[in-house]
Amino acid sequence: MNLDDDVKKIFFETFPLLTEPDFDWEKTQNNYDDWDSFAQLNLITLTEAKFEINFSDDEITLINSAKTLLEITKSKL
Amino acid sequence: MNTVNRFLTDSSKADPEKLALIDDDSKFTFSQLEEKVIKFSSFLNQFKEKSVISILFENTSEFVISYLGIINSGCVAHLIPTGISQSNLQNQISSAQPKLILSSNSYFNQIDDIELENLEKLKFSDVKEISSKNKTPSPTDYAYLIYTSGTTSTPKGVPITHSSCIFSTKNIAKTLHYSKNDVDLLPLQMSHSFGLGCLHTSLYVGSTLVLQKNSKPTDILESIKKHNITTLAAIPSTLSNITSNITDDSINPLSNLRLIITNSTFFPPETIKKLRSILKNGIVATYYGLTEASRSTFMIFNDEKKIESVGKPSDGVQIKIKNENNDGIGEILIRGPNIIDNYWKNEYSENKSDDWLRTGDLGKFDEDGFLYIMGRVDDLINISGEKVYPQEIERIVKVLSGIEEVVAIPMKHKSFGEVVKLFVKKTIDSEITSMDIITHCINNMERFKVPAKIEFVEDFPRTDYGKIKRFMLKE
Repeated sequence: MNLDDDVKKIFFETFPLLTEPDFDWEKTQNNYDDWDSFAQLNLITLTEAKFEINFSDDEITLINSAKTLLEITKSKL
Repeated sequence: MNTVNRFLTDSSKADPEKLALIDDDSKFTFSQLEEKVIKFSSFLNQFKEKSVISILFENTSEFVISYLGIINSGCVAHLIPTGISQSNLQNQISSAQPKLILSSNSYFNQIDDIELENLEKLKFSDVKEISSKNKTPSPTDYAYLIYTSGTTSTPKGVPITHSSCIFSTKNIAKTLHYSKNDVDLLPLQMSHSFGLGCLHTSLYVGSTLVLQKNSKPTDILESIKKHNITTLAAIPSTLSNITSNITDDSINPLSNLRLIITNSTFFPPETIKKLRSILKNGIVATYYGLTEASRSTFMIFNDEKKIESVGKPSDGVQIKIKNENNDGIGEILIRGPNIIDNYWKNEYSENKSDDWLRTGDLGKFDEDGFLYIMGRVDDLINISGEKVYPQEIERIVKVLSGIEEVVAIPMKHKSFGEVVKLFVKKTIDSEITSMDIITHCINNMERFKVPAKIEFVEDFPRTDYGKIKRFMLKE
C-alpha cells in the first residue's frame, strides 16, 4: 500500500459514513457534515499513530482536506 | 459473640475435633488451633492492651496463629502485605508505632532493617510462652490495622474495630450461605481485607480453610481436587487465568464448587460467563467495598443484564450517590456499622461527613437498585466540559483481543482542556497497533472520548498489592 492509499484509508476510518463516491482529495472540511473539531483530533491521532509522526499546532490548523493531510504527512516522512 | 477472637473460641467449643486449617502438610483442628493461639497470646501479655503488633507473613498457619494471638491478647494487629517495598514498610511502621514486629524466617531480613525506637523484632519461631493470664478486648477496640494500597494517593492507616469486623463477617456468611460443611480455598494474602474477611468467615461458621501460597491456576485446580473444595475466593485476574487454562470443561475441578467469590475490581464479563457455564450448581459472586467500608454490597451473578454491577447494598448498609449528574452518576457515600470511625491517628477526617464515608468512587444505581462503579472522582476526564469516565473508555478498549490491561487518564490539551490518553499493556505475542485501537474507538464511542494519544507499556506502576497507581501515570 502506498502513502496515498494509507491516507485515504485513514479518512475512511475517521469518517465511517464516508462512501467511495463521496471521497474527493480536494473536498474541504466545510463540505463534511461530521468533520468537527473532535473529528479533526481523531484524524490527527490516527495519522500520527500510523506514521509515527507528530504534527505541530500550525500544521494541524492547515489540515482541512485529504489533500492537505497527504501533503503535510509526506513532508514529515 | 462480640469480639473477633470469639470466632475461634466458639467454633472450637462447638466442634473441637473438626479440621479448621490446612497449610501444606500441616493440619489443625479447632481445638489445636485454639491451643496454639492461646499459647502465642500468652507471650504478648507482656505488652499493654491496645499496643500495636505488626506482622509480616506469607499465607501460612503462622499468620493465622499470630493474628488471632494478637487479637486475643487485646492488642491491635498491624497487617503488612508480603512484597511491600522497604520504603513503604518503613512508612507504615513509623505511622503505626508498633511495640513488636513479627515475621516468618524468610521475611526477617526485611524487618531487621526497619528503624524505630524501642521496637522489638522477632521471628515466629523464637516466640515462647510466658504467662497464661487472659486479657479480653472490648467490641469497640481496634482488632486490626491495614494500610490502604495507595492506588489513588498515599497509603492511609485504616483501623477496624471488633464490632465492625463481626458485622461484615456475619453479612458475608449470611449472603453467601457459608456453613461448617464448606471447605474454603484461599489463594489470597490475609493481610488484605479480602483474604482476611475469608479467614474470619471460615472461623465464624466453623468451616475448613485451606491456605494456598500462590495463585497459579494449575496449583489451585490441584488443591480443589485434593481437598474437595467447595468455595474459592480469588481476584479476577486469577479467575481469568484459570478459565483460560481450562480446555475440557467436562473434567473441570471447578465444576463442583458451590461458590466462587471475587472482589470489586473490574471483573471481565467473559470470565463471569465462562465460570457460570462451568459451575454445575454453584454461584459466582463479587462485592464492592473498601478497607474502610468492608463488603458494602454483594452481587450474585444470575442475570446477564446486570453483569457489570457490583450488586445491592448489604443488609444494614446504606449507600447514596452525592452530586449526581444527568446520568445519575456521582460520588458513592456509605453509612453503616461496616465503616470505620476514623482513620489511624484521626487523619483524613474530611473523608467522613455525618456518619457517611466519602469513598471517592463514582457510581450510579439502576432502576432496580443495583450499583455500578464508574471510576474515581479524581480520575474524571473533563473534555470541553464533558465529563468522561475512564472506566467507560477502558471497558470498550478491553474487548479487543491482544490487550491485557488498559488505563485511560486525562492529558492536557490546548483547545479542549483535557483529552483522553490511553496506556496499553499488550498480551504476549499481541500485534495490535494504535491504529487498531483508535479505529475501534471511533466506531464504538462518541468522538470526544476517542483517545488522542496511545502509549504502549511493558507494565504499570503498581502498589504493593499489585493495583495500578493511576495517579503516577498522570502528567
